[in-house]
Amino acid sequence: MSAAPVAPVSRDPLEPAVLIEGAQTDASLNESLLNHVWRGAGEGWKKLFGVALAALGLLVVAISYTLYKGIGSWGNNIPVGWAFGIINFVWWIGIGHAGTLISAILLLLQQKWRTSINRFAEAMTLFAVMCALLFPLLHTGRPWFAAYWLMPYPSVQGIWPQFKSPLTWDVFAVSTYFTISLLFWFLGLVPDLAALRDSSKSKTKRMIYGLFAMGWRGSGRHWAEYKWAYLLLAGLSTPLVLSVHTIVSFDFAVSVLPGWHTTIFPPYFVAGAVFSGFAMVATWMIPARQYLGLKHVVTVKHMENMCKVMLATGMMVSYGYIMEHFIAWYSGNPYEAGQFFKVRWFGPMAPVFWTMFFCNVVTPHIFWFKKARTNMGVIWVASILINVGMWCERFNIVVTSLHRDFIPSSWHNYGPTWVDITLFIGTIGLFSTLFLLFLKFVPAVAITEVKELRHELEHAEHARGAEAH
Amino acid sequence: MSCDDNKEARDKDRKVRRSLPIVTAEASVKAPPRYWRSVAERDAAKSIALAAVNEFAPGADELPEGSVSRRGFMQLMGVSTALATVGAACSKPRDKIVPFVRRPEETVPGNPLHFATAFSLDGYASGIVVTSHEGRPTKVEGNPDHPSSLGATTPYEQALILGLYDNDRLKEIRTNGEGTSWRGFLMATKARAEALSANGGKGLRFLVEPSSSPLLGELRRRVLARFPAAKFVAYGSTASDGVDEGPKLAYGQPLVARPHLDKAQVILSLDADFLGDGPEMQRLSREFSSRRDPGPDMSRLYVVEPSLTATGSMADHRLRLRGGDVASFAAALAAELGGRSGLQALGPLSALPKGASGDPKWLKAVANDLEKNRGRCVVVAGRRQPPAVHALVAAINAALGNVGTAVTYVLAGVDGASGAKALGGLVEDVAAGGVDTLVITASNPVYGAPVDFKLEPLLRRVPNTIYLGMYQDETAAACKTVIPAAHPLESWGDARAVDGSTSIVQPLIAPLWGGITEAQVLAAFLGEGDVTPHELVRRFWLGQRMGGQVAAFDGAWEKWLSDGILPDTAAQPVTVPEVNAQALATAISPLLAAAGAKTDGLEIAYVAEKLHDGRFANNAWLLELPHTITKLTWDNAAMMSDATAKAQGVETGDVVALQLRDRSVEGTVLVVPGHVDEAVTVALGYGRAGDAESVGRGVGFNANAIRVSDAFWFDRGLKLSRTGDTHKLAITEEQWTMSPDGRTTPPPAVDATLADILKEGSEFNEELAERRGPLATIHTPVDYAKPDADGKVPYKWGMSIDLNKCTGCNACVVACQSENNIPVVGAENVRKGRHMQWIRIDRYFTGPIDDPEMITQPLGCQQCETAPCEYVCPVNATSHSDEGLNEMVYNRCIGTRYCSNNCPYKARRFNFLNYTADYSASQHMMMNPDVTVRTRGIMEKCTYCVQRIERKRIETRVAGTDIKDGELQTACQQGCPARAIEFGSLNDPNAKVTKLHADGRRYDLLHEIGTRPRTAYLARVRNLNPELATTTKSESGEAEKAGG
Amino acid sequence: MSAEAHGGHAHVEDTGFVPDRYVLAKFADSDALLEGTRKVREAGHEGLDTHTPYPIHGLEAALGLGKPLIPRIVLGGAIAGAFIAYSMIVFMNVIDWPINIGNRPPHSPPANIPITFELAVLLAGTSSFFGFFTLARLPKPYHPVFQSEAFRAASVDGFFLSIKVPAGQSPDRAAAEARAQGAVHVEIIEELER
Repeated sequence: MSAAPVAPVSRDPLEPAVLIEGAQTDASLNESLLNHVWRGAGEGWKKLFGVALAALGLLVVAISYTLYKGIGSWGNNIPVGWAFGIINFVWWIGIGHAGTLISAILLLLQQKWRTSINRFAEAMTLFAVMCALLFPLLHTGRPWFAAYWLMPYPSVQGIWPQFKSPLTWDVFAVSTYFTISLLFWFLGLVPDLAALRDSSKSKTKRMIYGLFAMGWRGSGRHWAEYKWAYLLLAGLSTPLVLSVHTIVSFDFAVSVLPGWHTTIFPPYFVAGAVFSGFAMVATWMIPARQYLGLKHVVTVKHMENMCKVMLATGMMVSYGYIMEHFIAWYSGNPYEAGQFFKVRWFGPMAPVFWTMFFCNVVTPHIFWFKKARTNMGVIWVASILINVGMWCERFNIVVTSLHRDFIPSSWHNYGPTWVDITLFIGTIGLFSTLFLLFLKFVPAVAITEVKELRHELEHAEHARGAEAH
Repeated sequence: MSCDDNKEARDKDRKVRRSLPIVTAEASVKAPPRYWRSVAERDAAKSIALAAVNEFAPGADELPEGSVSRRGFMQLMGVSTALATVGAACSKPRDKIVPFVRRPEETVPGNPLHFATAFSLDGYASGIVVTSHEGRPTKVEGNPDHPSSLGATTPYEQALILGLYDNDRLKEIRTNGEGTSWRGFLMATKARAEALSANGGKGLRFLVEPSSSPLLGELRRRVLARFPAAKFVAYGSTASDGVDEGPKLAYGQPLVARPHLDKAQVILSLDADFLGDGPEMQRLSREFSSRRDPGPDMSRLYVVEPSLTATGSMADHRLRLRGGDVASFAAALAAELGGRSGLQALGPLSALPKGASGDPKWLKAVANDLEKNRGRCVVVAGRRQPPAVHALVAAINAALGNVGTAVTYVLAGVDGASGAKALGGLVEDVAAGGVDTLVITASNPVYGAPVDFKLEPLLRRVPNTIYLGMYQDETAAACKTVIPAAHPLESWGDARAVDGSTSIVQPLIAPLWGGITEAQVLAAFLGEGDVTPHELVRRFWLGQRMGGQVAAFDGAWEKWLSDGILPDTAAQPVTVPEVNAQALATAISPLLAAAGAKTDGLEIAYVAEKLHDGRFANNAWLLELPHTITKLTWDNAAMMSDATAKAQGVETGDVVALQLRDRSVEGTVLVVPGHVDEAVTVALGYGRAGDAESVGRGVGFNANAIRVSDAFWFDRGLKLSRTGDTHKLAITEEQWTMSPDGRTTPPPAVDATLADILKEGSEFNEELAERRGPLATIHTPVDYAKPDADGKVPYKWGMSIDLNKCTGCNACVVACQSENNIPVVGAENVRKGRHMQWIRIDRYFTGPIDDPEMITQPLGCQQCETAPCEYVCPVNATSHSDEGLNEMVYNRCIGTRYCSNNCPYKARRFNFLNYTADYSASQHMMMNPDVTVRTRGIMEKCTYCVQRIERKRIETRVAGTDIKDGELQTACQQGCPARAIEFGSLNDPNAKVTKLHADGRRYDLLHEIGTRPRTAYLARVRNLNPELATTTKSESGEAEKAGG
Repeated sequence: MSAEAHGGHAHVEDTGFVPDRYVLAKFADSDALLEGTRKVREAGHEGLDTHTPYPIHGLEAALGLGKPLIPRIVLGGAIAGAFIAYSMIVFMNVIDWPINIGNRPPHSPPANIPITFELAVLLAGTSSFFGFFTLARLPKPYHPVFQSEAFRAASVDGFFLSIKVPAGQSPDRAAAEARAQGAVHVEIIEELER
């Protein structure tokens, strides 16, 4: 193995900062990155998993109660027909998007630093979308029908879905999104599963991982097609992720409601999605790299890049807010003006608006400072603030717009019930449970791709070395 | 004027109505079944009767087997039909459906029958027509031929249906808690009556409803004949000594004043809410609205009142005055007029103080206006005002020469006063221990009596107390014998309207729980307790009209029943003598002294509104009905002005102790715009404690707990003290500004001055013109006038609502609730904003909060042509019919609520919970089988009563004709006393609705967002008196949220 | 095991089972693998395949593979998806049961775009995924190369070349060839079952 520790530190020729720390070989990477899978479940993991399971239990309770008692167990009313259900749906979907974005768009842009976090982000996407998918179903009055009447199948009623409705678009968009994300994630996982299979000590583990590895043998002929399949899935995911949140934003933009009826929604929703998504990745990645020993592959450089993305998307979101208000004033539509300058700023829901303002507009600007970008504590707090802020944004759009619209006589305030809150906590529980299982049984980092990266970097080193002499 | 609208429709209506077939058919049978309402029953009765004659021993107290099972069958039928409906709808039927085995020739299953009857309140009747499906009364409408109803209804009448099927009603006769039978009661009564008659009935007392029923009058006379020493005392806690005795004071005989607003150019109301309350509310509303079309004939309404009422909200000029000060205003007005030439009749009154009338300028202006319109103006005094004020008003009307034109007098049907004074006499007798047997048929006097009478403990001291009531209420708890009263829709009897017109009251269904009528109870004391109420009323009228010739009688009788009114019973107006003004001057002076007297503390005024005197306290439709002004549901409240609340340091939602003369009751504060300062208004009828009244029990607080006999309607010296608690009132509509941004949005409810309306191209008319007509659109709209294949022009359903006529009386809301099987959701869900009424009455305040103008605006689904709700539904559950109806497909709805979010009018209602789940079997009978009963998780909304459209369509198709204008009425339209709502096909150029859509006052709600609503609104017009006119155009949106 | 052990195959006639045989050669690193593969192929050997933990640039050329099929499959999927979607919408809302929805035209193209796009992506994506597994003949839990203990490194840090020995030929030539081209370790594998 002559070519093993060529460079003390592997660098990206374009990026001066460290992407993989220490002298790593394929073997050592394999070893270190699979370590957290082979290592037995630690105390910390068990504790967290316990908490997550408890929260998941709450989800079960809340769902059963909702189905038993009816949607009336939520705080919704007329005019506020949508509230927590849709807020959480949009919020989770948004979070999901960062995953796809990191793995797909950064891949297309050949961002080398993506490799260490993309598996992680993709998993997040899947679980977030699962949480999101619960709500559109649960929030309907009769979920047992909604479950299949939304599908275009020849029913006895002879009646079809109504394809002008953004909700119908949602059904297709979200289910497509989930399917593609799943396939993309699994396809990327196959070589690593093979690695797991081959480096597993026990027969049963080998059997199980072997089963999922589908007999992958790193065949050159396979790689040839694989690279394309993976690249194309990435290529498809990119417009997909944009379209999904665009369509989600249509749920509002297509209506006539002041505060919903806004053409800027699609780009501003997508920006918001990326914004919150990256925040979520950071929220999870910071503890994960700490406790799973991934610091050498998920370096400070990665966290810094994520902060930069949050700063950028954060400012896009701010721009969205500004434009909303500008158009409300410039269009001269009194209802819209009322919604933005009276209701949102000073109405009963104003605190939510100003929380959103602080979290989404003010917070990200701390990332102008390298000190902040490299301080995990700061990033972690900021990322959580951003998640809160983005939730508030959805609350503003959904509830605040609804609770005071055209005709004052029908205005009515809104307050969530314990079911609403439990349901939300429950989905966080579901997300955490799935995520912890993922961290336990699947490599959190795309080993194959990191190895490939190392390999490329090594070659680059060679080249530079050659020039030197 | 407009009273004769829709002649055609009325004739048709009458044709449809059925009479009850001839009774003597059963003469052969030993005894006819006690109650029956269809030939089916009669036939059944006959067969069974013939099969087992001996079951029908004369005076059988129990219903014969056959008839019991028949009644049971009718109920079962009803339930199964209801369940069938439910089954056809969204939830599965929970019970086996029983087929209609024996079809009577009159009934075609599925086709309702209509029966005319009458409903009395405060002693006076209003004619109603009840729709009956397979023997189940399901809907109440007004009787177009009845002078008090004119085809319209009050919320009370609409809500009768719910009361009828109320599962909380008394179900058995009980003596000292032991269940007994009617026969058992008769036996006991027989013995007691004999004992009593020994000493001429000394110690026998009857506490009865104020009533003008000829039958009851006759029975009372006969009872008195048998028991000369007995006494009848009439008491109603909402009775008015003023109305009963005022005219007597002026003219020396018991008269009732009947204003004729269609003949009045100027109307002055002194605390009279004649548009929202009172026995002739429907007639007065109709007459009033008939003179409100903009133009030279438009009448002008002045209102003087303490708290804003429906009438006050319609006023062109309104003066806030404490209830006790109204007397001094009346006096000042009399004095003002008295000084003028040609009004010498009032001369002696000109000495009265002019000062204490609030606003002299206002008073002068009114006086001038009245004087200008002699002979065609009217002053009306309210039920709460004392006799002297009514007398004064009589004098003023007489002096102005209005008597005979704008106001007439007829002999009172109710004999004598029925207020606190009357009850006082009885209380003394009881206290003196002279009462041995007390028969109570009055509505829950223990609850309704002034607290200082301490009636409850007194009753317990009476050896024999017999109470005929509908519920196990406060009085029932205090009485030895309790008899379940028959519901008005279960009763035989008769009743008189204010004008004397008499109707026979006929039952729509056999008493569900063996109810007994007042007539039967009185008859029991005459030894005729075994005579059926049907026989009682028949015999009486046989004697009255035909001198006992049965043969001639039957035809007439049937006609009376089918018409719902007896011919030429309307009393002739009496010519009244000169008023002794001098006497009045002396009569009024103590009131003026009292009004002038300096008292600390606030004034408290009692008002009878949604629950009347409390007899409707268990009626969820009325409890959940948003109050015209406050939009308060369920609870009552201590209503006061913003200024008073601030002065007292309280705000809406605070629970305060209302302390009056060392008594106190706790209630919730509600700030109401337009309320007079330093006064509190409290609604009667709440805070019930009846054990079995599961719906009304404990709702609100009982104002009778501080109400005393010598201050029956108004009292002074009220003190408020905060308890520190708060209570969230269930209000459906907070008091917001009129427009979302407080400035520039066009107001949803438009009002203007008469001047602005009449002026061509006035700024107002310009603005209004921008709110109608076609808007630019990129795609060609559907042409609903296009003839179909066989050249027939389709219907294009549309509605118009005239804000200038709508008084916000709420009749339409309850009518819709009854017609469309709309569930009640309860106070908690109202607080959450989930009330279900399909048509709501929005109300907006404009102007300063202490004395605002108010507009009411009924708002159901606007049936937009380009409905925003439709294109967002993912499952095609709401779509458009080719007649332009925005249709809701319940069984396809999955409840995303997106349609409601996207409805700019928020006209849609959602079943957040399974509101119909716990309906009792009896309530299932209440359902209208033509309308789906919605289950949990489904969106619903106003359908323009599509079931009525389809029924008419079928009828006309069978007849080979078309639906003519006026032939088809929506429930809200039919219920509306003021004819504010018109409905019809916009493709019919002559249809009323089409004309109104072309009216200059027409505008579309939210026209600017291009929804093309089919419901058009007509702007409210205020006929301002130039002398008082401050603004030419009332600018909207100033009434920022005031409490609420 | 050694090549000699598998010299003759006497039992072939009895069962009719002719086991495939492979020469599995391990190379020091990716460059060596590339080099070796090319040479071996140029020496006229067929049935070559490489096994590496991650894709190595230039292997396609070294193995002499043609253009990949996946892109064409995906394009087909996308077109099919779009077509199915749009025609489905038009059939359901315009042809089979047109319903008056708020007076909007039954066929309103803008409203059909989102679903058309989504279905295009869905079918493209799925065809890419399943297309690959079909082309790769996966899943295939058993493959002769797995018999080699050393091969477990193939997914970790080993770079292998496998040569399928034509039926009836001795594997020795291929093995020698591999050694000559710098394989650090060579073994011959005979398939156990099929």
